[in-house]
Amino acid sequence: MLPALLNYLRGARQTRGPVLPDLMDVNRGLPTLTSSPCIHNEGCTTCADGCVSDAISLSTEDTAMVTLDLGKCLACGHCTHACPTGTIAASRITRTAVRQRSNLVLTAGVTSPPAATNMREMFRNSLVVRYVSTGDNATDMEVNACMNPLFDASRFGIQFTASPRFADALLIGGPVPLAMHEPLRATFEAMAHPRLVIAAGMQAVSGGLFTGGYTKADGVGKVLQPDIWIPGNPPHPWMIIHGLLLAMGHPLAFANQLDP
Amino acid sequence: MSDQPSALISPIPLENVPILQLRARLKTELSDGNRLGLLTAMSSPNGSQIISLLVQTLSGGVRVLISQLPHDAASYASLTPDIPQAHWFEREINDMWGIRPLGHPRLKSLVIHDTYPDNLFPLAQQVSPALMRKRNNRAAYRFSVVQGNGVYEVPVGPVHAGIIEPGHFRFSCLGEVIENLEIRLGYVHRGVEERLTNCDWKAMRHVVEAASSDTAAANAVAHAQAIESLAGVQAPPDIQRLRSACVEIERAACHIGDLGGICNDLGFGAGSAAFAVLRGTVLGIAEMITGSRFMTGVIVPLSHRNMPAKPLCTAAANRLHECRKQLQSTIPLLLQNSSAIERMEGMGVMKHSLAQDFGLVGPAGRASGIDYDVRKVFRLPEYDCMEWQTPNLYDGDVLARAKVRATEATTALDLASVMLASVTPVSAPESVVELPADSAGVGIVEAWRGELIHLILTNSDGVVARYKIKDPSFNNWTALAVAARGNLLSDFPLCNKSFGLSYSGTDL
Ligand code: SF4
Ligand code: SF4
Repeated sequence: MLPALLNYLRGARQTRGPVLPDLMDVNRGLPTLTSSPCIHNEGCTTCADGCVSDAISLSTEDTAMVTLDLGKCLACGHCTHACPTGTIAASRITRTAVRQRSNLVLTAGVTSPPAATNMREMFRNSLVVRYVSTGDNATDMEVNACMNPLFDASRFGIQFTASPRFADALLIGGPVPLAMHEPLRATFEAMAHPRLVIAAGMQAVSGGLFTGGYTKADGVGKVLQPDIWIPGNPPHPWMIIHGLLLAMGHPLAFANQLDP
Repeated sequence: MSDQPSALISPIPLENVPILQLRARLKTELSDGNRLGLLTAMSSPNGSQIISLLVQTLSGGVRVLISQLPHDAASYASLTPDIPQAHWFEREINDMWGIRPLGHPRLKSLVIHDTYPDNLFPLAQQVSPALMRKRNNRAAYRFSVVQGNGVYEVPVGPVHAGIIEPGHFRFSCLGEVIENLEIRLGYVHRGVEERLTNCDWKAMRHVVEAASSDTAAANAVAHAQAIESLAGVQAPPDIQRLRSACVEIERAACHIGDLGGICNDLGFGAGSAAFAVLRGTVLGIAEMITGSRFMTGVIVPLSHRNMPAKPLCTAAANRLHECRKQLQSTIPLLLQNSSAIERMEGMGVMKHSLAQDFGLVGPAGRASGIDYDVRKVFRLPEYDCMEWQTPNLYDGDVLARAKVRATEATTALDLASVMLASVTPVSAPESVVELPADSAGVGIVEAWRGELIHLILTNSDGVVARYKIKDPSFNNWTALAVAARGNLLSDFPLCNKSFGLSYSGTDL
């Protein structure tokens, strides 16, 4: 025990220095669109053919030929590897949360989710979050990780609470199947105004691969109206923290964000 | 060098057993070194079939028994009275197929809640929008009632206090002491198995990864094995070694995470933080070799996507070795900590005899003297890379489970490190697999929670007619309910964490 304790006390500061850094190079990240032209008009359909989650649509009308929906993307890495022209490439930014669902849909020319304007700033220095899990336990683990010493979301004034009564924001992971519709609504109704809803991860955003079935697991949007949408499968802890900071209108959420 | 892993030998033997003889037959089989891997149903042109999968735990092998029901039969004699492990499986069959196990001692819904329309049996029929609009007159779920002076009920969930999956716990308490606990799941039933029979086979791997997304690697491996055993092909040994290394990394990360969770539920923040940091290190290594913290999208039938180069494998192996040293100096924070031991000792006891009846698997089983480990039984060649033991304790309390998990995390880091060091990248094309007709494929993996089984059955056209996933948690939930009895209500979170079960893997 004593050596263990000494070892622990000797431990270096663990919390990561730069806030919202890019993911490590080894991580395959999420796909994004670059300015390099797509050759779909010459018959290429490589990306869409291998995308099992229907996140990519191709059209030959005008110049915007590829549309990429990050809200459906599994982060499988197929398209970023297979695209012959580099039109679709890997992006490792963690500032990926948006305020409009449509902003997760990238089209040629708009290569990253645009920053939002008109912040609601009432939670600027403190955000108390109630998390509800609805069937994606990897996202649960990443939400948990937000509070560990490496990511330490509490330094931004973010806290998790057990009671929706204390909560400013409702964070939801998983595709929200039918049996969770009512409990989710009840949790939301128990929260005092003003209150925010945040969908964490592609399953919460769109239902992912479960959408359209008899369990009505079509994402948070079918039950509540999210104010913030976080892509990723599961979202990296930094991506979750970015979503929470964006909900707070925290200046850190906007620093370095590419302008729309 | 051991034989080829028996689970992968194809074809998987199929045997027809008349339904009237099934109960007696299973009883004999189970006393003969077999365990009931899973029990499920399937549609066939001649009526429904009851499917039993037997795992031979002494010699390593899998058999599938098929029992045809008469054409319009919607019931059969329940197996549960003789075979307690069948308890939840039969409730699931009743929910998903509308086939009633007559004489089942406690027949209630398992995953299909009363919010669903009447007569919805998702796997027995094509679910149409009209059916989904039908009125819902399902009887409300009835919890068992414990009567007596001063007994009161505490309903908890489905939304829990912590960052954890949803489920409902109904405690009947006398004072602070839990007299009975009934666990109601199904809140995260997403229709995984229905999706798996209605999707392209290249999408299947992603669906199974999401079945219980904290066990993505083990599910992907079980899927790959199942497809391979069905098609009668094998992935190259280097790929199998890399897959097993991924499963071991997943095991280490999850056990370390849950040891931190146990510290947290003990109110021991320093320990919780130390384990959380270590878990982060392991996930970083996972990211290094697969590009994803949860190792998704790389483990595929026959091949491995973006196989890491040799230097990367070596570097990862070294980092795993480093990590193991750190783990060894962190574990005593919990396991040599007298105040932590005092809380864990004698709490949430699962007796060996009951553990046997319920067919407990994984670390929870090994903490109650059940010496069953898929890795040992099926003797995958890559596990011969070093001498290693699975821990086997008898106390069956929270402390025993914590010890088993700590030891397994350490062994997992060792195994992963040795396996990775000997992986040489190979290229194996992901050729389209032709699936044979009327056959079975099985994948069986010791996931971090225990025995994980994937069973695929094809119809006469060689199309996947049934895809069954048996998550290890499915066997262990009843144990949690039993282990909670006689303990303080306020100790339940700790007890729950020591089992660390998957809700989504059970609900599917
Ligand atoms: S990375 Fe996303 S968009 Fe690309 S193929 Fe995979 S799921 Fe589709
Ligand atoms: S984005 Fe790339 S892969 Fe997709 S159609 Fe265009 S060129 Fe082909």
